[in-house]
Amino acid sequence: MTERKWYTGMTTQEDWWAVWLGVGFFFLSLFNIAGIDLVGWITYPTKWVFSVPEGGKGAVGHAFYALGKKYSVTAKGFYKGLGWWSVLWTYVVFTIATCIGAAFMKWDLKRFFVGWTLIYFMTIATWFIGHHAFIAANKTNMHKYGLSFALSLGGGGSFILALIIGLIIGNFFKGFANYLSVAAKPEWYIKTAIVTLGVKLGYLPIKLAGMSQKLGKKAAELTFEMFFAGAMATIVAYMVFWPGVYIISRLIFKLPRKTAAVLGSGISICGVSAAVATGGAVKAKPVVSIMVAALVVVWAVIEMIILPGFFTHVWPKTDDPLVAAAAMGLAVKTDGADAAAGAMMDEFMRTKIEVDTNGAVKWPEGIITAGAVMTKVWIDMFIGVWAFVLAMVWVYRIERRPGERVPASEVWHRFPKFVIGYFFCWFFLLALYFGPGKAGAPEAKAFLKSVKAGAVPVEKGMRKLFFMLTFMSLGIITDFKKLKEAQFGKMVWVYFVALFLFIIPMAIIIAYLFHHGMQIPNIAEYVKPGA
Amino acid sequence: MEEERKAAAGTGSLTGEALEAEDVLAGAEPWEPIETKLVLWSFVIAIIALVIGLFVVPTSVLH
Amino acid sequence: MELVIRHNGRDWVVEGDGLSLSAPTLEELDRKVGTTMREKGLIKEGEKTEVFMAFDNSTIPEWIRQYAQHYFNRILVVQG
Repeated sequence: MTERKWYTGMTTQEDWWAVWLGVGFFFLSLFNIAGIDLVGWITYPTKWVFSVPEGGKGAVGHAFYALGKKYSVTAKGFYKGLGWWSVLWTYVVFTIATCIGAAFMKWDLKRFFVGWTLIYFMTIATWFIGHHAFIAANKTNMHKYGLSFALSLGGGGSFILALIIGLIIGNFFKGFANYLSVAAKPEWYIKTAIVTLGVKLGYLPIKLAGMSQKLGKKAAELTFEMFFAGAMATIVAYMVFWPGVYIISRLIFKLPRKTAAVLGSGISICGVSAAVATGGAVKAKPVVSIMVAALVVVWAVIEMIILPGFFTHVWPKTDDPLVAAAAMGLAVKTDGADAAAGAMMDEFMRTKIEVDTNGAVKWPEGIITAGAVMTKVWIDMFIGVWAFVLAMVWVYRIERRPGERVPASEVWHRFPKFVIGYFFCWFFLLALYFGPGKAGAPEAKAFLKSVKAGAVPVEKGMRKLFFMLTFMSLGIITDFKKLKEAQFGKMVWVYFVALFLFIIPMAIIIAYLFHHGMQIPNIAEYVKPGA
Repeated sequence: MEEERKAAAGTGSLTGEALEAEDVLAGAEPWEPIETKLVLWSFVIAIIALVIGLFVVPTSVLH
Repeated sequence: MELVIRHNGRDWVVEGDGLSLSAPTLEELDRKVGTTMREKGLIKEGEKTEVFMAFDNSTIPEWIRQYAQHYFNRILVVQG
């Protein structure tokens, strides 16, 4: 199992399989342009109550529906009839798709299949419970469900529940968690979800152009601004974080050089992948990276529990949502925990602004999530470059082993391949929007509507489902007891000090410098009140 | 302890015995000038990137 | 020449092309590789050869591989 050629791993790594799954379903969605809707079956939950008030809504029978019911241009009637059956359709299609991936990656297929099935249905059950109107509704729409009080958690309630159930399994039913571990792959699921987030970014201008052409242009501009601001914020943050943590580990906690280097990347950048990349770069014994990785996953979940609520209710609240989003991406380790935290904050902040303004301000879903992922995607790309620099410093300057050379191909081997899928989907849809979509001009409306019919099930249904799977799997593989293990010793403290006193405050400052004042377009006047 | 170490090693070829923590945490080498250089250069790059970024990025606080 | 490198918890191990060597540090390993190649006549005097060492990823626990699929590859220039 080695990486020698540039194409190694295309059929055997999760990273590539995230691309195949995401881009594969994206291509299926494009058949809509030819009038064939192949993705409308993707299931999605809606708020429900046990007894629907007269004239209200929320029947249990409609709690899950096929997204084609709402968005399909050519097969609305068919998808309307699916209702709860869409849960099974979604199960069957994604089971086939993920099992093909698992087979190529040579996993234990039977265990993956059983594990995936259990995780999928637990996720659906959690999604269903999390959409009870008491949890998901807010004061602008709770009366429709006959409620006089609701928790106002939006879709965030389901995310929290999935995480809690996963954590209960991971911490109290360890045998079961171990059995599920073959299918509990948060990083694979989130990478797939991030590819479909690329679809979301490309679809945003199309969606908003459906409301007004000006809004569409604004959305396209906003995504570009996030792209540039995210890139610069990431480079600055990285080059401050890494040496900062290195100094803390070396001078305050007296750790050896290689351990400090690996911790520097693990704590400050993208967690596990950075720890492995840096460990490899400085040629540390693999055990160093393995230990840091085990520590990172636990701390990442702790961050993910604290930060979304903190940013939403303490600072910067809804005044600077994209500062909070970028800071999240810079502060929370691992793609899964960061994207999940961003998605949770997306739900919290949108609900908060809507409730605070009594429905006068409504933000489109997903922009805050996209902001949190944007900085993370840049970080993922940058780690490969930084690891290459570190490798050269270590080989040529610090250890100076005679005759050793660092191959330039290392940069590509460490490049996060799922990012290719993310950018591909994003720019492909942008090309459709600016090209045949004529930037939302009235004469291209029909065309854009057919693109939308395909994009929505993927960017909304598939993405949210894979986010939910990520939450559940993250919980399952997170064992808090690991923190107590004596062998981590002072590494736990280095992590604590570096994270809370250095990384998070710096992340906020840097995110602020580049994102302060960025506004999310208000779509309140274009959507039904209380929808 | 042994069990926990094995659990952390998971299904890799590294066995539980391989995960000896001591030598990961102990044996700090003395700080060398090259480390000062590495750390300082990172900060310098950060400052340069910050200045360029603040000017170039249209959403930065400078604009 | 291409070899596969892994770590067994104590030693770095390189294998391939009929070689199988191990040492606790990379320096020592590199020396062993050089000596063995010269002894076995895999390299002639005065000649220079690149030895490509690809890391065997199955060393890394499976749960970590989804985060990062690459540890390192390295090139060693051996002088005959």
